[in-house]
Order: sequence, then C-alpha cells, then structure tokens
Amino acid sequence: MNVVIALTITGILNLFGSIFSYRKITPLLSIIGLTTAIVFNSMYWNTNQSFFNHMMVVDNYAVAFGTVCMVLAACLIIFYNRFMGDNDHHLPEVLSVIVLSVDGAIVMVSYTNLLMLFLGVEILSISFYILAGLKKKDLGSNEAAIKYFLMGAFSTGFLLLGITLIYGATASFDLSVISEYVKLNSTSTNYLLLSGVLLILVGLLFKVAAAPFHFWTPDVYQGAPTIITAFFATVGKIASFGAFYRLFQMCFSPIVNEWSGVIMVVAIITMFIGNITALQQKNLKRMFAYSSIAHAGYMLLALLSHDYLGGNAILFYSIAYGISSMSAFIIIHIIQTQTGTDEAMGFAGLVHKNKTLAMITAISMLSLSGIPLTAGFFGKFYLFSSAIESGYVLLVCLAVINSFIGIYYYFKPVIESYFKDSITDDVIKLKSVETILLIFLSIATILLGIFPGLVPAI
Amino acid sequence: MNTILSIVPIQYYIILSAILFSIGVMGVLTRSNAIIIFMSVEIMLNSVNLLLAAFSTYHNDAAGQIFVFFIMAVAAAEVAVGLAIIVMIYRNINTIDIYNLNKLKG
Amino acid sequence: MIASVFYFLSFVSIFFAVMVVVSKNPVHSVLYLILTFFSIAGHYLLLNAQFLALVHIVVYAGAIMVLFLFVIMLLNLNAATEPVKSSLMKFAGAIAGGSLMLVLIAVLSKINSIQPAHEVNTQIGLIKNLGKILFTEYNLPFEVASILFLVAMIGTVILAKKNPHTS
Repeated sequence: MNVVIALTITGILNLFGSIFSYRKITPLLSIIGLTTAIVFNSMYWNTNQSFFNHMMVVDNYAVAFGTVCMVLAACLIIFYNRFMGDNDHHLPEVLSVIVLSVDGAIVMVSYTNLLMLFLGVEILSISFYILAGLKKKDLGSNEAAIKYFLMGAFSTGFLLLGITLIYGATASFDLSVISEYVKLNSTSTNYLLLSGVLLILVGLLFKVAAAPFHFWTPDVYQGAPTIITAFFATVGKIASFGAFYRLFQMCFSPIVNEWSGVIMVVAIITMFIGNITALQQKNLKRMFAYSSIAHAGYMLLALLSHDYLGGNAILFYSIAYGISSMSAFIIIHIIQTQTGTDEAMGFAGLVHKNKTLAMITAISMLSLSGIPLTAGFFGKFYLFSSAIESGYVLLVCLAVINSFIGIYYYFKPVIESYFKDSITDDVIKLKSVETILLIFLSIATILLGIFPGLVPAI
Repeated sequence: MNTILSIVPIQYYIILSAILFSIGVMGVLTRSNAIIIFMSVEIMLNSVNLLLAAFSTYHNDAAGQIFVFFIMAVAAAEVAVGLAIIVMIYRNINTIDIYNLNKLKG
Repeated sequence: MIASVFYFLSFVSIFFAVMVVVSKNPVHSVLYLILTFFSIAGHYLLLNAQFLALVHIVVYAGAIMVLFLFVIMLLNLNAATEPVKSSLMKFAGAIAGGSLMLVLIAVLSKINSIQPAHEVNTQIGLIKNLGKILFTEYNLPFEVASILFLVAMIGTVILAKKNPHTS
C-alpha cells in the first residue's frame, strides 16, 4: 500500500516541476521516488498482507513482480532524457505519467478483486495510449497512439463482459469467493462462468499481445518512440502476465481442462507467428515487436502448469526477458539516433565504434534467444520444465523449435556489429551513467544465467 | 414486492446485452471513422453496464452497481484521452479516417 | 405492463444502436447514441437502480456525448466525408460481429433460469445505500480511480496542447 502512495506522491511532485522551476531534477526525483517505493515494497516480503476489505493482497508474488516493474521503469527514466532530446517540453508531465502508470502495474499484480484488476489495467493502458503519442508531430507516433487506443478500448470491452458474466455466475468480484464457487461447481458445466472465463481470456490475450489478438502490436511498437516501446514491451507485458497468471491460477485452476486447450492453441500460434514473421522484418523495432509476441507465446506455457512452479517460472522469465529486452531497445535507440536507420545494418561495425556497446548487444541478444550462461536460458528452462511436469510435452517440443528459429534473427545485429564494416567511423559516446546502467543490466543477465537461485522462490 | 426480474427473466437481459455488445463489435470492425469506432466502443461498454445492473438486481447485491460507476468513470477518462489523440491527429493530417494512417507497415 | 415497457425499451435501444453504427454522418451517430443512452437509463429505472439511471444520464448524455459533439464540431467533421471502406472488409467485419452475437446468444440462453429466490430489496439502488458501500467496502478502488483520472488529465493536456515554439 505504501508503494502505491509513494509512487503517487512522486507523480504529483513531478507535476509541480514546471511551476516551481525544478524541471531539470524531475528525472532524479522520479528515480528517488521509485527507489523509495522499491524499498517499501521489499519490506512486504513474506508478510502476505491483505488491504481494504480484500481489495489488494501484498504477497511474495506481488512484491516480486512489483519490484521487477519498478526497476525497469527506473532504468527507463534514466534513459528518458537522452531519448526525447528536443521533444522534452513536457518532461515533468511525461515522467509523472510514467511513474503513475507503474501504480497501475502494481495494482495489476496485487489485486484480489476484479474491480481492482479493471482499474489497474485501465491506469496502465491509458498511460500507454498517451505515451505512444508523445511525438506529436510524427505521423507514425500518431498512428500508434490511435491504433493502440482503439484496440485497447475494444479489448477492455471484452474484459468487462467477461468480468460481468463471472459476476453473474458467482455474485461477487472477490477472487476468493470466485475461487470457492469455481471449486464447488467444477464438475457441472456452467455456461455463464465458462463464457465469462473465455471473454476475460480474450481481453487479457489482447493486452499481452498474443496471436490472434496481436495485430496492433507491430504498428504500435514501431510507431511509438523507442524508449516508450521498451516500456510497453517490458513493464506492460510483465504486468499483464502478472495479472493473467494471478487470476487464472487463483480462480480458474479447478476448471483448467476447459481453458487449457485455448491457451495451448494460442501459445502455438503466437510462437510461430511471432518468430516466423520476425524473420522477415527489416525494421529492427518491428522485428523486436514480433519477437515480443513470440515471448508472450512462451510465457503462456506457464499458465498451464498445475502448481506454483508456473509462478516461479513466469517470474524468472519476466526478469530475464525484461532486462534483456530493455537493454536491446535502449541500444536500438542509440544506434538509431547515431546512424539514422531503423534496420539491422545500422549495427554494422559497432565493435569499432564502441566496444562496450557491442558486447552488451551480444549479451542481450544471446539472452533473448536463450543461449546457456545467460538469464534467458534458465528462463526458458524453467518455463519448459513447468509445462513438461504438467504433461504438455508436444507443446514444449514446438516451443524448443521456435527458440531455434529465434536464434537466427537475434544473431543478425550481433553479426552485423562484429563482422561487418561500418559505413561511418564515428565513435558512439555515452554518458557514464548510461554505460554503467547498461553494464549493470548485462552483468545481471550473466549472473542470473550462472546462479539462477538468486531469484527467490515465491 | 413485484419486481422486474419476476416478469422479465434474467436471460432476456443477457440476450439484450449480447445483442448490443455485438452491434458495438460490428461497428468497430466495419467503420473507419475513428469517432464512430469510438462510439461503438461506448455501446459495448453500455451493454456491459446494463448487464451488471441486471445481475446486481438479480443477486440483490449492490457491488454490481458500484462497478458500473467505475466503468462510467473510466469511460469518461478514456473519452477525454481518446478525443485528445483524435484532435492531435487532426492537426497533422486534417482527417480522422484511420485508413489514411498507414505509415507503419512491415 | 412492465414486460411491454421492457420490450419497448429494448427495441428502442437496439434500433438506435444499429443506427449509430450505420449512419453516415457522425453528428447523427451522436444523436442516436444519446437516444440509446436514454433507453438504457429507462432499463436502469426498471431494474430499481434509480441513482444509476440519474448518473448515467448526467455522465453519458451530459458529459461524454457533449465532448463528442464538441470535438466533431471543433474539427468540422459533420460532413459525411468517410471514404468507402472496401466492401470485403465490411463484410468480414459484419460476419465476425454476427457470429459473435450468435455464439453469445446460443451459449447464454442455455443458462438455468432460476428465479431470484431471496427477498428482493428495492433499496439497494438508492444513493444512501450505494454511498455507504462505495465509501466503506470499495474505498480503495475509489482512491485508485483518482490516480486514473490524474493520468488521464495530464495526458489529455500533453497531447492536445500545441508545442510552444511551433505555434
């Protein structure tokens, strides 16, 4: 609870930045606020407290996912200055939207009432519509904003209809009441409940960008400013999966046979569409958009596991995917501003321009493709083993095939940066804080790849 | 006490909401004017609101009506943001037809 | 009597909802949508949700639709300028929506028709009762909704404001 309060106060303090002329230090202020919130959050570890008539519960799951979201948001804010450059008329306001959107993410991973789920999803989504359109004069950004907005509002309709039908069946929005009801009625076919579950599934699959509800993702990810795309692909996706897993594990696990088929089919389609379309992309941002769709496909596997292994697996994968993806998008943006191209050839000869950056690129790509000794490997390992233990061997085989397809396109930027000659010879300079952050992300990737036990079990 | 649900069964409300919801979905899928798409989304949300109110009466539980308030509040916030986005786009391209926005392709 | 009111209101709301979707002129759509909202408010009254009906009229017809009309007139969109979308897309969209409707109706008409057994309390829709529940049991969502409004407010200003040096 203190976390939400700390974040909200930070957001409001940022807003006054323009009035009392401290707009220059608002990034610092936001980071201090986020750090405070992270400290508050970690104090809730192992407490399992429930707040306000069962609206929110802060258990280890919520603490872990909340911390991941806040750390990623803090990384984003460190880089924000560089990214927007000339377009920072609204710096304090945008930072405050980013900080407040993390509130939404916190609510999404710790709700125990469907009303809170709805509010969390909406806080996050509304912030995302705004952030997607930040480059007001850029038509791509405009298009991303309107597409994200219309599709987001559309999918909210499905989510709400699902919630309503579940309310109709169970007479409550409280997850514990719903889960009791589902347990008691798991043998008989209850059409109201089942259609509610399916509609919620549709709404949430839209939010995590799983096929066949992924069509907005490439356009939005490509059109939005790159740093914001990093935010969508990391915090947005992780919070949505946090909400998704919590709901389905807490409430609908007794009727898993009714919806596991849907998840299986969706996961297979998502992985194949994501990976195969990513192969054909020239634009790097678009390629990473499709690759994030493929990652959503892998993460769906965790939903199928019958026990708490799934929760640990999805947490580890979120951390691994989050940090690698974040550094990948940051590097793409650095390359993009340097060479003016969105394509993989922008990476050509990166090793001669900036050795550290080339190294970091290689590490994050290796992690995203799931090569051993990186966090991505253990992420995939945990996900796949949790699915195998629940008996989905064929599904895991398909997922492994997909990981191999993924290696091909993830290696494109690495090969470009190490084995191709560059067009220009400019040296890429980074601020020291940015270099330190990127190195920190890479070290975290490697450390988690060697000592996966560093992530506590939830 | 003679109430509506003893005369009109709850199924009728469910079917009415389903019809309204589907009309909204059709509107989203068939129109290209951003404002009309948006109004179709409002129809979808209203069908949900109606169903929530019906279930609230059916279960004799006020939580459903409280949820409707929140949906209305969120819808109002969403409308404000959505119309701001539409105004922003109109300033740049002088139209709000989403088919004129096709810069992003791959 | 009540049944015929229900049928009348349902017919009106469905008819005007269809008109919103098919009418060419956005201003007409807005006006039809307002009529749909009024008929839905009638439904709320039938359902003993008096305060909800009132708020519905105030928020939707009073605030949201005025905002719509305002934007349409500000941008001068009242002329029917929408180019014809390819009929294939329209057809596909209509088919998709239609099949969704059929599936929903087919599934949801199967639910058991149990009448509400317990004593019906007609007071739950009154402002006193709703206010009590909103500010006790649902206090946290109420506060969290304010964060949402704050975000929406900041965002609207960021997006709709012209940049200072370009104007």
